[in-house]
Amino acid sequence: MPEQHIYGFIGPNGAGKTTLFSMVAGSLQPSAGRIRSHGKDVTGSRPFSLVKAGIARTHQIVCPFRAMTVLENVQVASHFGRKNITRTAAAREHAMQVLTRLGLDRLADTLAANISLGDQKRLELARALATDPELLLCDEICGGLSPTETRSMLDLLRRIRQQGTTIMYVEHDVKAIMAVCDRVMVLNYGQKLAEGKPQEIQNDPSVIEAYLGKAGSEKKGSRVA
Amino acid sequence: MTVASAPSRLEARARNLLPWLLLAVLALLPSAGLTANITRLLFVTFVWVTTSLGWNLLGGFAGQVSFGFAVFYGLGAYTAALLIDRGVNPYLSFVFAGVIPAVASIFIGLPTFRLRGPYFAIATIGVSEATRVIMNNLAITGGASGYRIMEQRPFRQVEHYYTALGMAALAVAVSFLIQHSKFGMGLRAIKQDEAAAADLGVNPYAYKLAIHAVAAALTGIAGGVLARYAAFINPQGVFAFQTSVYILLMPVIGGIGTVWGAVLGGVVFGVVEEQLVANFPQIHLLLYGALLILIILLEPDGLAGLLGKLYRRLRTPKRTDGSTHSGSRETDEVLRRAGSG
Repeated sequence: MPEQHIYGFIGPNGAGKTTLFSMVAGSLQPSAGRIRSHGKDVTGSRPFSLVKAGIARTHQIVCPFRAMTVLENVQVASHFGRKNITRTAAAREHAMQVLTRLGLDRLADTLAANISLGDQKRLELARALATDPELLLCDEICGGLSPTETRSMLDLLRRIRQQGTTIMYVEHDVKAIMAVCDRVMVLNYGQKLAEGKPQEIQNDPSVIEAYLGKAGSEKKGSRVA
Repeated sequence: MTVASAPSRLEARARNLLPWLLLAVLALLPSAGLTANITRLLFVTFVWVTTSLGWNLLGGFAGQVSFGFAVFYGLGAYTAALLIDRGVNPYLSFVFAGVIPAVASIFIGLPTFRLRGPYFAIATIGVSEATRVIMNNLAITGGASGYRIMEQRPFRQVEHYYTALGMAALAVAVSFLIQHSKFGMGLRAIKQDEAAAADLGVNPYAYKLAIHAVAAALTGIAGGVLARYAAFINPQGVFAFQTSVYILLMPVIGGIGTVWGAVLGGVVFGVVEEQLVANFPQIHLLLYGALLILIILLEPDGLAGLLGKLYRRLRTPKRTDGSTHSGSRETDEVLRRAGSG
């Protein structure tokens, strides 16, 4: 994984994108192979210790603390992330800064259950960011969003990368991946199919075949939903 | 918002002052002259309030429903009983009545917190029953025939009253401190979604063990304070499954997850239980069960939730759309439930 990159992962349904993520984030244990962070073996570490080591994730299916306000949701992450802020006032302030960065500050005192899906996706990202990660795993953060929402989300990712965070990004929407990623890996049935710069990937025949089958090979890089 | 801010600040100050006022009134009550019976009733209520607050830490704050709190109550009672009987200062004994159950809670928690939700609850029943059976057969505590405490000091009811009042105040203070801390935030996160909490850096297992220990300590001290007053304890009393259920029901009736709800539950239980037993000795459990079903059906947030609703209705008589801003978390929970079901 090169640092300060957005590294995209695409592949058809069931290719193993989310599984890969869960293994890196510690929710699932790999049956073989190792996961290394900065040369340190972190295979089998629990999610909460990986957060302290600077690895945070968002979820494809959002899981906000619904009975908490948006601010409190992020406050938890500020408290328990890498910064490990103990004082509640300081954690709230830190959380508020993250919310402002993501344009969620206007919803700070709203219950997480009562905000739109787009905002809940942003909240996922806000919580992960508030843990102050070096490596951020984004699982389908644009899934179910409108084109406008998707665009602003991708802008956010670019800004996060600029601030020095490395991003692993899984998305179904090939266009979105191609638009923001510095490098892309294509997975199929748990195997690495191809890897490289977005332009290289788009023209790789094996990738086109996996997505569209042999007959569709002419329709290069078209969106697959 | 700006219009409402002045009275709400006043309101917040009143809310901060209320606990102190309550404590002052309760502290002055004995000098105003209380009958022995009322003093005893208040004493017992303070004990129940403490156990209710203890259970609420684990059940209300962290969302772990335990049917095993009689273990801590009983262990605290027996620890205090054995020590006081051997001439140890009663207040030092109460410290041990907190420490021993806290240690026990770690051993109970290590295996049972591997389980989630109802499976955890069922496991705690097993632990509770096993402890009762052991205590029934343990020779040094007199087994099933119970244990009589011979204290070398004269009995002064008002001393017991102040001990119990101080203990209940301690339980309230501990609850508020935890609620407004990082620790409390972690527990709330665990209560709502353990996996998501872990993904944000909370260690659910360690946190559950920690709050279990604090809850056990408070419950154990309550058991110890009661044992000293009662001067006689037996396993069928303090270790009974019924005791576990009582301890669980109080915060449920009062309002689970809120400090004042747990207090209210303890007070209602202390007083109502007494009246029910006195007036309907044969069917008091039946009446109690009916009361509980009514509360759970009509007001899942307990009496505290009900009072909160009434209060808000009185304050905002014209707004009926339910969109009024609410400052309290309990309200938010109510709104959430109303919205989802």
